Amino acid sequence: MSNTTSRRDLLLGAGLGLGSLALGSALPGIARADDIQAIDPLAPKPTHFPGKARSVIWLHQFGAPSTLDLYDYKPDLIKLAGQEVPESFLKGIKTSTQGGVGKLFASKRSWKQHGHSGAWFSDLLPNLAQHADELAFIKASTTIGATHDISVLKLNTGDLNPGRPSLGAWVQYALGTSNPDLPAYVVLYAGKKEPTGGAVNWSSGFLPAIYQGTAFRPGPSPILYLDRPELIASAQQRENLDLLRSLNNYRAGRYPRDSELRARLNSYELAYRMQTAAPEAVDFSKESDATKKLYGLDDEITRDYGTNMLRARRLVERGVRFVHVVTGDLEILGDDENWDAHENLEENHSTHARAVDKPIAGLLADLKSRGLLDSTLVVWTSEFGRTSYGQSGNGRDHNPWGYTQWLAGGGSRAGYTYGQTDEIGLKSVDKPVDTYDLHATVLNLMGLDHLKVTYLNNGRSERPTVVYGEVVKELIA
Amino acid sequence: MASGYVSKMVNVAVAAGCSLIIFCAASAQEAAPKPAAFTKTVHWAYQPVIAAARPAVRQQAWVRQPIDAFVLAKIEQAGLKPSLETDRATFIRRATLDTLGFVPTPQEVDAFVKDKSPDAYEKLVDRLLASEHYGERQARRWLDLARYADSTGFQNDNNRLNSWRYRDYVINAFNGDKPYDQFIREQLAGDEIAPNSKEALIATGFLTQYPDNHNARDLVQRRYQIITNITDTVGEVFLAQTVACARCHDHKFDKISEKEYFQLQSFFANIHEVNDIQADIGPEEQAFQKEQAVYDQATREIRAKRKAIIDSIREEGRRYYAERYLADARKSIFRNGENGEFKPESDWSALDRWMQHRVQNVTSDGNIADYLKDTSSPADPHYNPASKAKWDEYERLGKELDKYDDLKPNKGSVKISAMTELGHADAPKTFFNIGGNHERPDYEVQPAFPVAIAGNATPKIVPTASSSGRRTALANWIASSENPLTARVYVNRIWNEYFGRGIVSTVSDFGKAGARPTNPELLDYLAAEFVRGGWHVKPLHRQILLSATYRQSSSEREDAWKVDPDNKLLAVFPRRRLEAEQIRDSLLVAAGELNPKVGGPSVFAPIPAALNAGKLWPVSKDQADWNRRSLYIFTRRSVAYPLLETFDMASPQQVHSQRSVTTTPLQALTLYNSDTVFGWSQRLAGRVIEEAGNDESRQLDLLYEVLFARKPDKQERETLHGFLRAHEQTLKSHVVDGKLALAEPIGVKNPAALDLVRASAFVDLVHTVANSNDFSYRF
Repeated sequence: MSNTTSRRDLLLGAGLGLGSLALGSALPGIARADDIQAIDPLAPKPTHFPGKARSVIWLHQFGAPSTLDLYDYKPDLIKLAGQEVPESFLKGIKTSTQGGVGKLFASKRSWKQHGHSGAWFSDLLPNLAQHADELAFIKASTTIGATHDISVLKLNTGDLNPGRPSLGAWVQYALGTSNPDLPAYVVLYAGKKEPTGGAVNWSSGFLPAIYQGTAFRPGPSPILYLDRPELIASAQQRENLDLLRSLNNYRAGRYPRDSELRARLNSYELAYRMQTAAPEAVDFSKESDATKKLYGLDDEITRDYGTNMLRARRLVERGVRFVHVVTGDLEILGDDENWDAHENLEENHSTHARAVDKPIAGLLADLKSRGLLDSTLVVWTSEFGRTSYGQSGNGRDHNPWGYTQWLAGGGSRAGYTYGQTDEIGLKSVDKPVDTYDLHATVLNLMGLDHLKVTYLNNGRSERPTVVYGEVVKELIA
Repeated sequence: MASGYVSKMVNVAVAAGCSLIIFCAASAQEAAPKPAAFTKTVHWAYQPVIAAARPAVRQQAWVRQPIDAFVLAKIEQAGLKPSLETDRATFIRRATLDTLGFVPTPQEVDAFVKDKSPDAYEKLVDRLLASEHYGERQARRWLDLARYADSTGFQNDNNRLNSWRYRDYVINAFNGDKPYDQFIREQLAGDEIAPNSKEALIATGFLTQYPDNHNARDLVQRRYQIITNITDTVGEVFLAQTVACARCHDHKFDKISEKEYFQLQSFFANIHEVNDIQADIGPEEQAFQKEQAVYDQATREIRAKRKAIIDSIREEGRRYYAERYLADARKSIFRNGENGEFKPESDWSALDRWMQHRVQNVTSDGNIADYLKDTSSPADPHYNPASKAKWDEYERLGKELDKYDDLKPNKGSVKISAMTELGHADAPKTFFNIGGNHERPDYEVQPAFPVAIAGNATPKIVPTASSSGRRTALANWIASSENPLTARVYVNRIWNEYFGRGIVSTVSDFGKAGARPTNPELLDYLAAEFVRGGWHVKPLHRQILLSATYRQSSSEREDAWKVDPDNKLLAVFPRRRLEAEQIRDSLLVAAGELNPKVGGPSVFAPIPAALNAGKLWPVSKDQADWNRRSLYIFTRRSVAYPLLETFDMASPQQVHSQRSVTTTPLQALTLYNSDTVFGWSQRLAGRVIEEAGNDESRQLDLLYEVLFARKPDKQERETLHGFLRAHEQTLKSHVVDGKLALAEPIGVKNPAALDLVRASAFVDLVHTVANSNDFSYRF
């Protein structure tokens, strides 16, 4: 097939980042191929304005930690513990009565201020507290929702029902990829199974499927179907792919303008490269013992999450745009539980906090020492917080009215606190930040105007923040 | 994606946003000239359908069907000619994929190619439309729109084990060529129109397909979201109207006011999902009962003990569980509006009825057992010293019960799910909600149709003994020949299936922000003809399949490209990547492995262990189920079947109007590396060797015939022979390494007679050819 060689050389030689291609189903017999770059949906795209963050590491604490027991120090709550919630604090919120809108509840925390910023941390996060001056706290986070599923969806996609694209999908859509050998939007989860609710939380929604998050699974071969069939050896595969290329090239000759056919041809080469690039990205053999220790890989309790944090750093180093990390279940008094401490908050939070504290601190330190923190935005987030009143005697119920999240790096304002909750930490009273505002702010830090990231879906020009969202300028350095 | 015009993506990516009003903002639609056929004042889609006369064309001989004249007139206006007829083999592959959803057999291709009779095409098309696989293919299209799934979605993703009956209803409707107007009425109001017909009840499954979270605590919000989902779905699917835009504000482009939105919503105000209607007992039900009986027998004692524990606290447990609902729902649930005693039925308002029914529907014994767990703890305000022992025993028994999970039937049911009004004609009030916020109701509204579309038509609501009659009134209006949208929207969807682009390219938006028809006369001809023919769907397909337009070659034409680069005129047949199900089903057909069984409960084909789907994916015990057609694979909202998902299958989360085509390395990894797909290639290799014998050329011929409906040409043949020779050497060197791990063809009757290395090289060839573009596209 000598007549196809020149064509192939042309294609490969042109070095077009033709990793992937999304076209309307209405593609006609003859496609426009005058600008291949223009129809490669993962081609790198310019930002709207200079943004410091090139990558985001989205640390979703699944199950909703009680930030009242981590960051939001409320002396009055401790003072009033055991008393009924004063009626005035409950105004305007819809509660349930299960387990009683119990009396105000204080856990056995000790609190200290850290760093120049004087940020409060409880004794549950001793390692993270060392990075107090890197964090920008959002102390008056608010959202909608009485159950995890709808609020997790809102946290990730901006809607209470499945179907909208997740923030990572929007980022990938807006910016493309900077490393076609790896997926640009990667999901990491701890524990044996995918987080409940699954892929709707990293879905591409109405955006083309190419923008959805790719789950990296535990183990050396992180992507589904990454490994060759057992009975095909490496040299064999290369020969097969060469045959494939020559067959495809030959037939594509009949459709010289058809860039989709050529993109499909190229996708096999990219897949072939991904077979090497993806395992390499999660291979820690070249990491030093000191690094591994920094992430807590030497300790059973921190190993899982630490592995994900180190994976996150390695992925960011390799140009991945959005790393979406979800915490998993840990054994609490014999049951597998996430952060959702309706009861036994003490046991639950001391275990979960221990599992993430050192790895996250390690990640921040490692990013910083490698000069990556300036270009990497780390977001510590959850679907909601927990109530100031107790539940079941020793737990807390869901609180969408006021809870803490934080940003670090990526151009966020280090050592800063924005907004506050009321005296008992139940509701936001000052500068509330909804999930939409958080999304707008994250996009802004990446150099994107959330109002200008739009996609036409069935007559509507959709954007990541639905019809809401304001950039919290104070959170930007 | 729900509906996408992906090729436009790049254009709109950076389109300027304009603050809050862009939610339903202008599309980046190219400004098409206004067709002369429509007057200026009324939006084209709201004008009555008027069948235009067939336009005059020069190339009269080309016209085979009336639609060809409409297409040709536009082609000629642009100074072009249509493409030549494609060859018969390409045609039968195209038509079989389009109508049945998989590749034809070499025998079918051969018979058609050799059929010299004047009605060869008619015979082929009639055979295809008579096949029961036609209904499966059409059903899949409809299920995309119906947001069909076998589970509820959200965190718990509960099974909906009766859903398949609705899926089968759709298959049967298409196979029986049920008139589309009847199809609409049954799906929207089957329970009202024919309350004693199980088929009609099953049809209302269309309304029950919304995603749901049984653990929702904000029930007022949940009810609002369900009704919203249904209203928006009905507007989008049947009328191609983005009515959802008008929920929060008057529609920015279409003349649909926010008030009209809620009037439309009020047609659904009295609906309740019912999941326990007894089904007729047929073979599927008997099979289920048989399996269930085995499980019941084995676990009788354990379940009885668990039930006894729950019964001892059932009332407290139910009350306790219901306390989790938020304040406004508790007003409907409890006598005192807070907790304690449930509100007696005699005091229920229509809204209370919904809440009470919901609580009953979603509260399981496991939920009731929460009471025992929570009150076991001395710290709990409701601490009950008796609970701990009961809870421990309940848990212990639960672990015991889990051991019998393998005995549980993992498919089927004996119940029907339907949407009904629970025997009550009085509906909860519907309010105009300010800004779409259900917590800000303003004034009550009554059912009415959007005036811009319906004109003077008003709903004729006749309450029945058991129902408000509202949905019947709505269904009658939608399914009326007077409705300017319904027929147009449906014929356009069918056109879109064949040509990859609707006459209106925004198939679910016939509003002002949507595209205008590229050929309005053709659209109206098809719509008028459809209604005139009694809303039968098969004649519509037949006309398209037998048209000269559909017979054209897909080869590129420089002259056509220059004039019409997007191929809107259809002077060239549009080639297209196969859809996810077409790829999998065709691979199964090629491997000789497809289980052709039509209908029945959804199945769990194996998925990669790395997904760790656990109880969410109990792989079907009967291996014959693994090779069922793709539309029978359990649609679990939280775990998509990966092979299909990667090729852009419909997302069941929302109405999915158009399949997108993405090309990704992950697809390449899937198709090349999946052990399942590789296994099919091994079987295909075995089949080819078995059928073609030892002659290498005949093997290659047959392989190409199976996959591409053609033989390899000279150059391909040389390449393939060359590959086999070289590859054999590579494999041999591999064997010398001491590794004898070779992939053999499967299904060869006398494997001992095979040259293993050569046969293994052939498996690689087959697998590679199956991965090539010619397989994944239809030309």
